[in-house]
Amino acid sequence: MEEILRMEHITKQFGSVYANRDINLEVRRGEVHTLLGENGAGKSTLMNVLFGLYQPTAGQIYLNGKPVKITSPAEAVKLGIGMVHQHFMLVEAMTVFENIILGDKRTKGVFIDRDARRKEITELADRYGLEVELDKPITEIAVGAQQRVEILKALYRGAELLVLDEPTAALTDLEVEGLFEIIEKLKKENKSVIFISHKMREVLKISDRITVLRAGQTVCTVERSETDGAKLANLMMGRELAPSHYEKIEQPGEPVMTLDHVSYHKASKHSGLNDISLSIGRGEIVGIAGVDGNGQSQLAQIVTGVLTPDEGEADLKGSKVAKFTPNGFIVENVAHIPEDRNKMGLIGNMSVQDNIVLKSTEEPRFSDGHGAHLKKKAIHEYALSMQEKYDIRCESVEQETRNLSGGNQQKVILARELEGNPDLLVAVHPTRGLDIGATRFVHDSMIDARGKGCGVLLISADFDEVLEISDRIIVMFEGQIMGVYPGKNPPIEEISLAMAGK
Amino acid sequence: MDIGELILSTVRMATPILLVALAELYSERAGLVNIGLDGIMSFGALAGFMVCFITGSPFLGILAGAMGGILINMIYAYCTISLCAEQIVYGMAINIFAPAVASFIYRIYFGVSSTLAQDTLMKSIAIPYLKDIPFLGKLLFDQTPMVYFAYLMVVFTAIFFNKTKKGLNYKAVGEYPKAAETLGINVIRQKYVACMICGALAGIGGAYLTTCYVNTYSDGVVAGRGFIALSAVIFGRWSSGGVLLACLLFGFCDALQLRLQIMNTSTPYQLFQMIPYVCTLVALAAFGIKKAGPKANGKPYMREER
Amino acid sequence: MKLKKTLMSVLVPLASVILAFVIGAIIIAALGGSPVQAVAYLFQGAFGTPNNFASTLVKATPLIFTGLCACFAYRCGVFNLGGEGQFIMGSIATCWVATTWGIEGPGAMVLCLLCGIIAGGIWGAIPGILKITRGLNEMIVSIMLNYVATLFMGLLYTSVLRDGNVPQTAAVPDATQLQRIVPSLRVTWGIVIALAVAAVVQYFLFSTSKGFQLRAVGLNMTASRFNGFSVKKYILFSFVVSGAIAGLGGSVELLGTQYRLISGYAVGYGFDGVAMALIAQLNPVATVIVAYFFAVLRTGANTMQAGTGVPTSVIDIIQALVIVLAVAGFALVKLPQIRQWLAGRGGKKTAEKKEEK
Repeated sequence: MEEILRMEHITKQFGSVYANRDINLEVRRGEVHTLLGENGAGKSTLMNVLFGLYQPTAGQIYLNGKPVKITSPAEAVKLGIGMVHQHFMLVEAMTVFENIILGDKRTKGVFIDRDARRKEITELADRYGLEVELDKPITEIAVGAQQRVEILKALYRGAELLVLDEPTAALTDLEVEGLFEIIEKLKKENKSVIFISHKMREVLKISDRITVLRAGQTVCTVERSETDGAKLANLMMGRELAPSHYEKIEQPGEPVMTLDHVSYHKASKHSGLNDISLSIGRGEIVGIAGVDGNGQSQLAQIVTGVLTPDEGEADLKGSKVAKFTPNGFIVENVAHIPEDRNKMGLIGNMSVQDNIVLKSTEEPRFSDGHGAHLKKKAIHEYALSMQEKYDIRCESVEQETRNLSGGNQQKVILARELEGNPDLLVAVHPTRGLDIGATRFVHDSMIDARGKGCGVLLISADFDEVLEISDRIIVMFEGQIMGVYPGKNPPIEEISLAMAGK
Repeated sequence: MDIGELILSTVRMATPILLVALAELYSERAGLVNIGLDGIMSFGALAGFMVCFITGSPFLGILAGAMGGILINMIYAYCTISLCAEQIVYGMAINIFAPAVASFIYRIYFGVSSTLAQDTLMKSIAIPYLKDIPFLGKLLFDQTPMVYFAYLMVVFTAIFFNKTKKGLNYKAVGEYPKAAETLGINVIRQKYVACMICGALAGIGGAYLTTCYVNTYSDGVVAGRGFIALSAVIFGRWSSGGVLLACLLFGFCDALQLRLQIMNTSTPYQLFQMIPYVCTLVALAAFGIKKAGPKANGKPYMREER
Repeated sequence: MKLKKTLMSVLVPLASVILAFVIGAIIIAALGGSPVQAVAYLFQGAFGTPNNFASTLVKATPLIFTGLCACFAYRCGVFNLGGEGQFIMGSIATCWVATTWGIEGPGAMVLCLLCGIIAGGIWGAIPGILKITRGLNEMIVSIMLNYVATLFMGLLYTSVLRDGNVPQTAAVPDATQLQRIVPSLRVTWGIVIALAVAAVVQYFLFSTSKGFQLRAVGLNMTASRFNGFSVKKYILFSFVVSGAIAGLGGSVELLGTQYRLISGYAVGYGFDGVAMALIAQLNPVATVIVAYFFAVLRTGANTMQAGTGVPTSVIDIIQALVIVLAVAGFALVKLPQIRQWLAGRGGKKTAEKKEEK
């Protein structure tokens, strides 16, 4: 098979940090080539370099044997490279049709020739089995359909090489199968696919060859037929990881939080809750499994007082919640690790120490007269002790939190939320984007909190994470609870089906 | 009160606001909130006045206003697009800078003498046939060319954003610039183009005041019309038709207060002059809840941001 | 790191001032004047004699108030462009109480100041209320209210409160006026009030828990809400306080300097305040310094015009250039490329540890 793409010695630096270091990659025509690696291994950066979004600090790219310089996405598109980003590049205010023809340079004329374009798109869609509803606004179609729009967009622009960046992250199992069928069709049409993932099962199923990245560097490229899951995992992590199985609690204590037939924006499948009843006991971790956007955010925000449910009741530590305000819940010792740490958790332009004491400046240890005069020295010293305890790596506790890495930002939040020995901890995607070490740290902290009698609600789109630490697993789909399963020896098949709404 | 006169002056009063509101629409559709419209207008007003005064041609004045507007707005463009300065802050800086420059140039050129410099006002041109429509014809089709220009711009803008490929790409820049970039749209260039259009239209709006409306220049001639235009865009929900309606409403308030002033000389005129500002507030409070704006509005765009 | 940041926030405005002066000098030279002479006259006019020095302080007083007004609101993330209107409403309330209630003396003066504070606070509350209840853009609302306030003032001095043939109100009785600190100099206790307000604002923002939370709200409203702060309350509060500061400024200006409402009163003070707050990077103490600098330019400008024939509007240009350059400068040093370069120059591997994806 002839070679379509070769990337040689690609290095990309952000400040003093190397995101890619001397990476080599070669892709052949008509193959599915997987880039495998942990979060932060440099996969997305490499692809952004290929797509002209980043300029490499060093290195050379060859397409069809010829050296090329890709200075912009426009250039990449012209060269026949198509990319489906992890976060879809779809304009929500526009329709599917408009999104596909956006930026079209192939046709002449000032006006949009709707009929001709529609015909063209429909033909293309039929050929690859990409079912889409052209006149629907993007906001009204499911995630799987949005992905098909993205693929169609790339093909419409004549892509020969298609990059799929974590395409299965937000899909249900059924949708993943649909995607794989599409990929097979692409292969048959002699198109090349770069598939980015860290999910071993999928990688083994779809790839022809696999290139493993670790910490920004190429580890090796292997044929699918010559490897297996265990080998790949070792290559990916670079060391043998002892399977850490936390002990599972089967008898939780008294409930700290109980929801009774709670509903919120019932009609909305992706951002509402429909008749949710659950309870979280002291000393247990309840894991909510499910694909992103099935009401998990809303659930988290109700049990932390950010949102007020339309119907139903909530009981916090044995008494009915009369008014839903974040402050009311904080006073009752509810801690929250929100889903978006930069947007919801941290004041990015404030220092590490300010973020650590964010909620507690009125306490006597940090101020006189109920906040009338801040004890700056006490705050500083406390922050230093937290920096040590939670292993927050920063130049100084006076550094702004937005300049910290994701893992350290999360540790700042942990230091703030866990130090008060909360009665209830709500953690949403607590390890998203973190490396293995930081992830382990977060999990250990949650287990510790459980040991101190805290009830933990863990919401995560990472199924493995939910399996790893939950004592009880609840599956959510389209705002409803599909089933409750034990955390010890969970029925994985059954849970997967429930996550897909079956 | 003469209804015909009132409509006539509504149309005339709405024109500058309309031009400037369209300017803002073009800017915001590319994701740039420009609150420096008042400043751009005042510079356009001066440029228009001076050229008209020197050459005697209001048309050249309008052209000068457009050029002046572009010139000033390029400062805003460079700082907000290339330097990623906060748009609101920089718009404010333009509001302080541009009137100061305008007033300085006026003083240097005309001195501080008490005699008022006056230029020639643009004459109305009646459109054949259309002007013969009973009643409305005389009111709508016997105006200065700038009025026609403004209303044609509304139609053009509606077609541009809804029917053309360029318009679709343009909107994508204001909605999701990164997506636009991945589709090969040059976001930075598009934003600069947006600023040129915005500067030109706002400059014309300013020049209209000194070449079509009054025949002198004075500091504060703009009188907050840039901000009224800004509210017209919100009130008009970022569509050219909506903006037109909002501007006609505000123009009507302006026309009404002038009529009332002339009719009630015993009542203090300031009471009537408040009408347009109060109306803007009431209209916004009643209907202007912000929700439909372009999604990436006000956000700086950095390509290599991680 | 922190030191470097502080250094930058002083260097940028300083460089802007110097650059603005250079451009100003070129303009003066182009007009046929002598820049050196002009600057000499400028500084002589601003501090050449004790009286000139006092005049500069008098000019600085209202600017400090409007600067603090803009600064306070923006610390909470809302843009109050209505300083001028709030200033005027404070003046109006003061004028009304001082000239029509028939009271005089220090007690009346205190009452007048209080009324100024309240009037400014109420006028400032309107954009705040409309923002938190109706989601309206606070900038547009506060600007519209400026025009309404100016027209309302015009209404008063031309008809309702008009005193005599000239369109102006009666003067504040002597006994109610703010007294001079030194009888021979024009400067009154107003400047002391202004400095005291600046100190209080500085203390509140940086040394109290409520000020800390207010700044948090200003920097990230969503995170503040998630962490239990009442965002809406802080927004309203910041508007009321911001308006009250401007209102007090109006009151002080009327009782200490102008004594009566008249055409042209307070024109431009609001925007000047915004400009100063931005140059001062929202730091109250720095705002005072910038306000003083603006006042130096203004008092000096008249002497300069009289001495060299260079028109005072050159000074307006210099002022406007300072704001345009400073804001651009602040944005410039925040750009990733520039930050990297600066960090590299510092010889330290700093700053750029951006978030891992």
